[in-house]
Amino acid sequence: VTWQPDIDEMNNRADMSRQMGGADSVAFHKGRGKLTVRERIEILADPGSFRETGVLAGRPEWTSDGKDLLSLTPANSVTGVVQINGRRAIVHGGDFTIRGGSADGSIGDKMGWAIKQAYMRRLPFVRLLDATGGSVRTFETIGRTYLSSNDRTAEVELMQMVPTVSMVLGSVAGLPAVQAAMCHFNIMVKGTTQVFVAGPAVVKASQGIQITKEDLGNEDVHVHKSGVIANLAEDEEDAFRQVRRFLSYLPTSVWEMPTRKQTEDDPVRREESLASFMPRNPRRVYDVQKLIELVLDKGSFFEIQPHFGRSRLTGLARVDGYPVGIMANNPRYLGGSMDKAAGEKTARLVQLCDTFHLPIVYFCDEPGFMVGQEEEKKGILRAGARMVALNSLSRTPFITFILRQVYGVAGGLHYRGGSALYRRFAWPSGHWGSMHIEGGVSAAYRREIDAADDPEAKRLEIEERLNALRSPFRTAHAFALEDMIDPRETRPLLVDFVQEAQATIRTQLGQTSRIAFLP
Amino acid sequence: VGLLPAYDDKKGKRPMTEVKIKTEVAGRVCSILATVGASLNEGDEVLLVEAMKMEIPVMATAGGEIKAVLVNVDDMVAEGQVVAIVAV
Repeated sequence: VTWQPDIDEMNNRADMSRQMGGADSVAFHKGRGKLTVRERIEILADPGSFRETGVLAGRPEWTSDGKDLLSLTPANSVTGVVQINGRRAIVHGGDFTIRGGSADGSIGDKMGWAIKQAYMRRLPFVRLLDATGGSVRTFETIGRTYLSSNDRTAEVELMQMVPTVSMVLGSVAGLPAVQAAMCHFNIMVKGTTQVFVAGPAVVKASQGIQITKEDLGNEDVHVHKSGVIANLAEDEEDAFRQVRRFLSYLPTSVWEMPTRKQTEDDPVRREESLASFMPRNPRRVYDVQKLIELVLDKGSFFEIQPHFGRSRLTGLARVDGYPVGIMANNPRYLGGSMDKAAGEKTARLVQLCDTFHLPIVYFCDEPGFMVGQEEEKKGILRAGARMVALNSLSRTPFITFILRQVYGVAGGLHYRGGSALYRRFAWPSGHWGSMHIEGGVSAAYRREIDAADDPEAKRLEIEERLNALRSPFRTAHAFALEDMIDPRETRPLLVDFVQEAQATIRTQLGQTSRIAFLP
Repeated sequence: VGLLPAYDDKKGKRPMTEVKIKTEVAGRVCSILATVGASLNEGDEVLLVEAMKMEIPVMATAGGEIKAVLVNVDDMVAEGQVVAIVAV
């Protein structure tokens, strides 16, 4: 075979590259409970589906005569195409075992290549982040400093076209930390990962504060408090499971129909328990997770941001096999009231569903935006205004089931005007108003109350008068509510809507969303 | 959920585990539903915390016998506070 020696050499050098940072470095990395970038890609991908590009990229060391290769230190990132749930995706993963994954250990622009491939081929893009950004060492190498003006247009465009996911798998700082947020879904691993603008050494230098990398950017900071990272994984395997699951609900690009999955679940399943699901006592809460299980395809709900903005649940699920976005108030937290965190979280879901043409299903029990000085200081009003704007701009099919409360401007988000496909149904437990009667009375009838001999009795009397008007039947009689339904009809009606919505979605394929997906 | 094994070797009982029941929300304890000494199942309501005009049940994360209820009606509780102990 004429070229056999070269073919052998090629394979030999690829093998060198696959050793990553060498046995010691790999052992150190694994000793910290982490997988190598190559193991990670194997777990993310359908078995045996990874096709690598650029395995030969590396720093060669030559014999003194420059003829023979002594060693090859590979580039500290690995990229290529994988199959995930039988569909192609581009993956790019940092290799911490080589110079800590730092940008100055890169060769050429493997990351840029990966992003461009995802862009050109319209394939989902998954980043495995285990890296820091640039290092000042580069200044010495190139004999100058440089302006940070790298062009990230393609990455931003990518979010308008294909699903993008960032996985935080180590200590991630600098540009990779920003990339951790530059996506539709992200995840970090409990106990072993952190993400921050800059690490403890930089914080010490600029603020004189000693802080651990954990306190600076672990899951407590970013999954529970900041909401920068959506989901938390128990371990790396769990992280890959969650990413595969997230991607399974989305089309591979905005030009594709969301894919239906065969389901055993009965489309007209009427759950008897729904007729008694809602407590008669308006102060008693219910388990909204249970409701979701009863109505959607069994076991299909994948919650996004479960630890942040907990007065709302958001996630993806299936209805008769069709993927949908889900949002629901959770009365266990803040009475289900939308605070700034819940508003941000809901905004992300609306953007995601509108971009990828998933119908939005809303289980509404909204007492109104969260009141009080704390929320005012956080800027609940802008979060609320943003939700109103997104709700108006969105044109993806939207359906609301009113379970209980619909109050104030936040309650108004259950409705969408305009000509895009929209329906709403109310359970008999529904009640609503521009504001709550309790509290509203004191403001609107203040003179009358103050003038009364017994102001408290007067207030209660007026409240009782108004409460009598609160029955949902009165609104339905006026056709200001289209349909009241038996709660047991929820799933059959939902299935019917989602099936019909597929025709609408077909007309919306492509980059038709009026909402830019912003991280 | 904290685990505190308490083994009484004189009586030769099997090791007992105590599970701390915590409230997920802050608020005012408005009703105590469990009685010390009574047995309950996982998911049963131990007490109700009033927050944002709603009554949020604190549920047993394990079944067993109620060893102690650590709060009284009208107490203010913080998120994550232990409110009862169940012996499993």
